[in-house]
Amino acid sequence: MDKRNEALLDLLYQCADDDLLVSFRGSEWLGLAPHVEADVAFSSITQNTMGHAVYFYRLLQELGEGDVDVLAHERPALKRRNAIYLEKRNGDGQYDEDPYFDWALAVVRGYFYETYKRVKLISLTASSYEPLAICAKRILPEQRYHLAYWKEWMKQLQQSSPIAREKIRTRIEEAWSQSLDLFDFGQYEQTLLNEGYITDPLELKQQWLAELQSTVKDLPSRPLEQLKNGRNGEHTTDLDVALATLSEVYQTDPVAQW
Amino acid sequence: MNEQDFYQEFEVFSRKNPRSGLMHQFSLLAPNEEMAMILAQENFMRREEVMDVWVVPSSSIRHMTDEERQALTQRIDNKNYRTTKAYGYLRKKWQDKEQGMLDEQEIMSWKEVKKHRG
Amino acid sequence: MYHYLEHQKGSNTNEDPILYENFMQRIENGDKIEANDWMPSEYRDTLIKLISMHGISEIMGALPEKEWVPKAPSLERKLAIMAKVQDEMGHGQLLLRVTEDLMKPYGRNRQHLMEDLLSGRLKFHNVFHMPTKTWADAGMVGWLVDGAAIISQTNMLDASYGPYQRALQRICKEEVFHAQHGESIIMALAEGTDAQQKILQDSLNRWWPSLLMFFGPASAETTGSSKQEITIKYNIRKSTNEELRQAFLDKYMPRVFSLGLTVPDETMHYDDVQEKWIYQQPDWNEFKQIIQNKGPRSKERLKVREIAYSNNSWVREALAVAGGDRP
Repeated sequence: MDKRNEALLDLLYQCADDDLLVSFRGSEWLGLAPHVEADVAFSSITQNTMGHAVYFYRLLQELGEGDVDVLAHERPALKRRNAIYLEKRNGDGQYDEDPYFDWALAVVRGYFYETYKRVKLISLTASSYEPLAICAKRILPEQRYHLAYWKEWMKQLQQSSPIAREKIRTRIEEAWSQSLDLFDFGQYEQTLLNEGYITDPLELKQQWLAELQSTVKDLPSRPLEQLKNGRNGEHTTDLDVALATLSEVYQTDPVAQW
Repeated sequence: MNEQDFYQEFEVFSRKNPRSGLMHQFSLLAPNEEMAMILAQENFMRREEVMDVWVVPSSSIRHMTDEERQALTQRIDNKNYRTTKAYGYLRKKWQDKEQGMLDEQEIMSWKEVKKHRG
Repeated sequence: MYHYLEHQKGSNTNEDPILYENFMQRIENGDKIEANDWMPSEYRDTLIKLISMHGISEIMGALPEKEWVPKAPSLERKLAIMAKVQDEMGHGQLLLRVTEDLMKPYGRNRQHLMEDLLSGRLKFHNVFHMPTKTWADAGMVGWLVDGAAIISQTNMLDASYGPYQRALQRICKEEVFHAQHGESIIMALAEGTDAQQKILQDSLNRWWPSLLMFFGPASAETTGSSKQEITIKYNIRKSTNEELRQAFLDKYMPRVFSLGLTVPDETMHYDDVQEKWIYQQPDWNEFKQIIQNKGPRSKERLKVREIAYSNNSWVREALAVAGGDRP
């Protein structure tokens, strides 16, 4: 396989795995949000996002990478390309036993990720890989609501009680030290840029920061940092646990019809 | 800090398409109208067409009381003169004169007028 | 989800006999009663009990199925069960709103409902105290537990209370999707590998007593509390617990058997002379225990709900404050 093709596959895995992990974390939240109406709306966002992951996996399937469910359920952590911050667990505890999940994390991650996804999708609408450009154009209109939802939560909580402001601030600090690999397109980055598959991540980061600055007061002034680089297959144990959960039933018989 | 104040009531209305009127969907609780707006569509119109959403604080709505509904919505069924029912006999008259009846279907079709050149 | 409403004290207050007469006339005429209409306190209190329990059962009922949402065995299954559990939360929303309007004269709102649930004052439906041990259980809840819920909810589609009746219209429309969602999971397992068929049969064996209990005891004597007569008197529901259970068996037993499944009751059969299903009574003492929050998973489910509610109470408090300075 030539380098161009490998680079494209890698980019598609990044897009698919990002959305899969975000929607997996969202699915753990289902039924547990601080307000029933907010729970229902959040779940729509989660479902849409998983639908986007399916879309990206399907592009991979069309390129001969295998069935979408194999791609979502069977690949070991080493092969996963999602950014580290997206696999981070929702807080403490297990979703089905003691879900000490933190809404501040949901809001900060939701807002940061959807802002990121928007600038990335806009870039992808001009991708030289036509099916990816078409995919980005289809997802963008639906994704607007996701950003609007988390932005509203972000705005309101920031203007609210000292406790809420502090919780949000802490989660922003945390995000700052764990999300640099969002703006890394992995080992084939140069090929991706040369081939016109996507825009320079530094440019996307500027656009991302500009949007964040319009909403968040006192963004950290230091540069983004990372724990590990998910784009290179480096991951945390949070991902191992997530993969075990999301493939638990599937793995009991990967060839059965479910 | 009173958690109770989080639960403000809003009525949700939506319009399916530009030609349809607003329809009452249901009510929801939210701390303010911006939050009510961002929650409304996915709570009540997940599977429906929607092109516009209104949220209104329930307290802003003057609804009829029980007595008013029973007292003010009764009418005698003798208002044919307000409807086309009273004029149905015209169909026959016009037929005799070889003219069509200007009924609802006919009049609503007049929105298209023949284009003239120049 | 209304059959073991606790006996309400003080319902027989001195209502104005003329108002009461008019009210009962409206009920008999098939009028719909609206939230702000005059209503006897027995009617209001029965509705509050009934609908708050129905609503909170939806919210609690999301939990056992939700355990399988992140684990569902394909992306399509994950999406479908997520949409289904989302609907259950949505049904909870509708029903809590209806209850909240009824509770207004008592100065109570959603916060009180949640507190009542967590303190054990407000009960939730017996089926949601049970464990969901395998993926087949997720299917069983979607198919037969929802099937039972559809039987009891459609029975109230003409309920005299307008807001409840309208909420039920919405709910029952979505239940059509739920019914087929459950059937789809079950069908795949029934037509699947030996292991899949086995978890399906095991699941039905475990759920069988809960399914029979779903509609509550045939008469109040069994458990000492039933409000079925009152709900029928006020034209809220039409049929008795036993009639509903028989309707459920009519609809679902042929389907159960057609999939090659059995039920763990050798006496179970349709009696052509009596024109009804004959079945072994479930253990109604166990039922009483379950609905007193002493079921197999009662404590765990309440704990999850309590954590979710309390751990993020700062969000509601924060925006309650902010609410004041926003236009």
